[in-house]
Amino acid sequence: MQSDSTVAFLIICSAMVLFMTPGLAFFYGGLVRASSVVSMMMMSFGSVGLVGTLWVFYGYAMSFASATNSGFIGLDGFFGLDPAKLLLASSYQAASDGNGFDLVFAGFQGTFAIITVALISGAIADRARFGGWMIFAALWATFAYFPIAGWVFNFSVENGAVVDGGFLVFNLGLMDFAGGTVVEVASGAAALAVALVVGRRFGFAKGMHAPHNVPLTLIGAAILWFGWFGFNAGSQLAADGTAALAFVNTLVAPVGALISWSLYERLALGKPTAVGAASGAVSGLVAITPSCAYLHPVWALVLGLVVGVVCALAVELKWKLGFDDSLDVVGIHLVGGIVGTLFIGLAGEKVGLFFTGDPTQLGRQAAGVAIVGIWSFSVAWLSAMLVQKTFGFRVKSTDEIAGVDRVIHGETAYSETDPRWTWRG
Amino acid sequence: MESVLDQGNTTFLLISAAFVLLMTPGLAFFYGGMVKAKSVVSMMMLSFGSLGLVGVLWVLYGYAIAFADGPSKVNSGESFIGIDGWFGIDLAKIGLGSPFADATNGAAAFPELGFVAFQATFAIITVALISGAIADRAKFGAWMVFAGLWATFVYFPVANWVFNFDLGEGGVVDGGWIAYDLGAIDFAGGTAVHINAGAAGLALAIVLGKRFGFSKGITQPHNVPLTLLGVSLLWFGWFGFNAGSELAADGIAAIAFINTLAAPAAAMLGWIIVEYFKHGKATSIGAGSGAVAGLVAITPACASVSPMYAMLLGVIAGVLCALAVDLKFSFGFDDSLDVVGIHLVGGIVGTLFIGFFGEGVGAAFGFGWDQLLAQAIGAGAVLVYSFVLALLIGFAIDKSIGFRVKAEDEIAGIDTVVHGEEAYAFGADRG
Repeated sequence: MQSDSTVAFLIICSAMVLFMTPGLAFFYGGLVRASSVVSMMMMSFGSVGLVGTLWVFYGYAMSFASATNSGFIGLDGFFGLDPAKLLLASSYQAASDGNGFDLVFAGFQGTFAIITVALISGAIADRARFGGWMIFAALWATFAYFPIAGWVFNFSVENGAVVDGGFLVFNLGLMDFAGGTVVEVASGAAALAVALVVGRRFGFAKGMHAPHNVPLTLIGAAILWFGWFGFNAGSQLAADGTAALAFVNTLVAPVGALISWSLYERLALGKPTAVGAASGAVSGLVAITPSCAYLHPVWALVLGLVVGVVCALAVELKWKLGFDDSLDVVGIHLVGGIVGTLFIGLAGEKVGLFFTGDPTQLGRQAAGVAIVGIWSFSVAWLSAMLVQKTFGFRVKSTDEIAGVDRVIHGETAYSETDPRWTWRG
Repeated sequence: MESVLDQGNTTFLLISAAFVLLMTPGLAFFYGGMVKAKSVVSMMMLSFGSLGLVGVLWVLYGYAIAFADGPSKVNSGESFIGIDGWFGIDLAKIGLGSPFADATNGAAAFPELGFVAFQATFAIITVALISGAIADRAKFGAWMVFAGLWATFVYFPVANWVFNFDLGEGGVVDGGWIAYDLGAIDFAGGTAVHINAGAAGLALAIVLGKRFGFSKGITQPHNVPLTLLGVSLLWFGWFGFNAGSELAADGIAAIAFINTLAAPAAAMLGWIIVEYFKHGKATSIGAGSGAVAGLVAITPACASVSPMYAMLLGVIAGVLCALAVDLKFSFGFDDSLDVVGIHLVGGIVGTLFIGFFGEGVGAAFGFGWDQLLAQAIGAGAVLVYSFVLALLIGFAIDKSIGFRVKAEDEIAGIDTVVHGEEAYAFGADRG
């Protein structure tokens, strides 16, 4: 049985991770127009409500289905449901009997499901219907996130070796400490699919869309970073040396990426921007997520420096390829997640190609990325098409141009009589 | 070897480190709300830039300097270069080598890497604090060069003087000269953080000179809620800063925690009472600044005074800082966002207060004046060292690459010039 200290650690970490989703809402909210910030934030807050509910009902029972339980339905390690865990029944029972760890773990993992879904919304800023988004969120969570979380996060360890669990972690041997594949690659691939289905905004061209509130975006980035310590260190499920390593790397990689993204902007584009610094930090956080417990801090710094530049280049792809991934979910989360996951195969302690000369782990990492990416993209594309063909995913063009907040939510973020409308310094 | 890892203390240390990291963005918002709408991006980037740069330096060599253990330490005696307790580097700690190697051996109550992260956040915010003195007019690149040099030659060694020590029978048995040889008490960084940053802020304000339109009442905060949001994040994080400095969730941490509530609360009242008597109105910026002044003053003293004396300290700091922020107008140095008036003055008040009212050491309780003298020497040494080096580094930068933007850029607002972006796009909706 886990000690009170372990449970305390996990409770605090869960609260920190839950805080990340509002943080994401502010990060995204500041980047859009003043007339669609309410819509942008509501897609994240909507995920909190919806995915939180589904998680309690059946999400946890799918993600952490244990085939050894007699009632298990489905394919072991791939897609299934453990009826004993519906409505968190078995975890609640254990907590009532004095061991709260399972129930806190369910809460901790619930916050992961919530933010992963919310991340996708950055791809469809300024133009998505709220109802369409909510249906999409439920479909994608059920058929993509819940099973994929089982593939990677659901395993049992004995004497330091994985002895049972989801097929990616157990059969394939993928190393993904806190969710580079499950969270980052999955949300990034889904975002690409949704951006393709929903289509480009009016006035999609470089420089047309200036962030309406840079301080709000930085508030969001700060909250994300704060919460990410709980996300990564908490994934050790105990406050020990490995958690401390994950923690340090969650500081080191983003500072490296913040610096390298800003330097890239300075050298290639002339001026380092605040939005660039924040995006750099987030890209470093994304890349260190799978690898935070497997890297020496100096390698984490290298990963950060690399990913800051790679993602700064990757966010330009949408202009070249013509998909409107409005707030760079693909450029930061998909690309950053891939870089961080593959980096374990290169520089991971004891397994990386640099130390062993053996590319086996790198191959496993690549296979894991590909499987999660393809599955998530497919589910997202089908779900989004279904929503698009039935209810409609996108607002009317006239509403989009006028600004979606008043049309969809009946409110405006800032009153026109507010003196800020005339801020001129 | 038997593991002595304590998950309770490790939890406490890691969570405290996350709290303190959040303070630097909090500071960015506190400062950002107080400047013009056309320089808020620049203001926030001075903090975020420190976060990136000092974080990198800390991993590479900052920790190895700040926590260099001298030859008296068995482990690092051979890898130490420098003068023990003054200025040196522990080669084994470069790139966090030895803390990483020891991460999972369970040989201590908490992993050293947790302490590395906790102290990193202190280095980051100390550098960021200085930036308040140069609002509206500093070049970003020049600031980054300054931040790197000042961190290396001032913060890292001064942190060693104050924070690097060993406790044994009868108190401090080894460590940096302020903590060990001098015996000054500075629990969480009144000298190493606040006096250090405040003195450097004064130096930079002198180097850069006054803004255009520097005179009382001309510059108004552009976004008061942003400033109050920043104050809230600072106060929230400060609980990790002060209580976390005990490195264990015990009774001392609880004293530090309650004093981190009591002193700023009293200081907030002290500040707005001064405002009320001087101007007839209590402002929210004043309430926020008062809370910060109380937090600064209690930082060194949080484990050394009872809650009643913490409140006394808070009131004194709130009143003195409210008066001190007007000094810049009398003396004509443009410490734009009152780094000197709040952090230098508040840090000195809090550090000296221990000499009067510290439990078991204070002159008021009949323990003589020795502690007050030690406190004064520690505060004075850090003040002079930081001020002189910041002045030298600042002048060197100003004479070489230039520290200040061009006059016309400053008047136009520096965000678009330096960072190529505007903070707000409200009226003209370009989407």
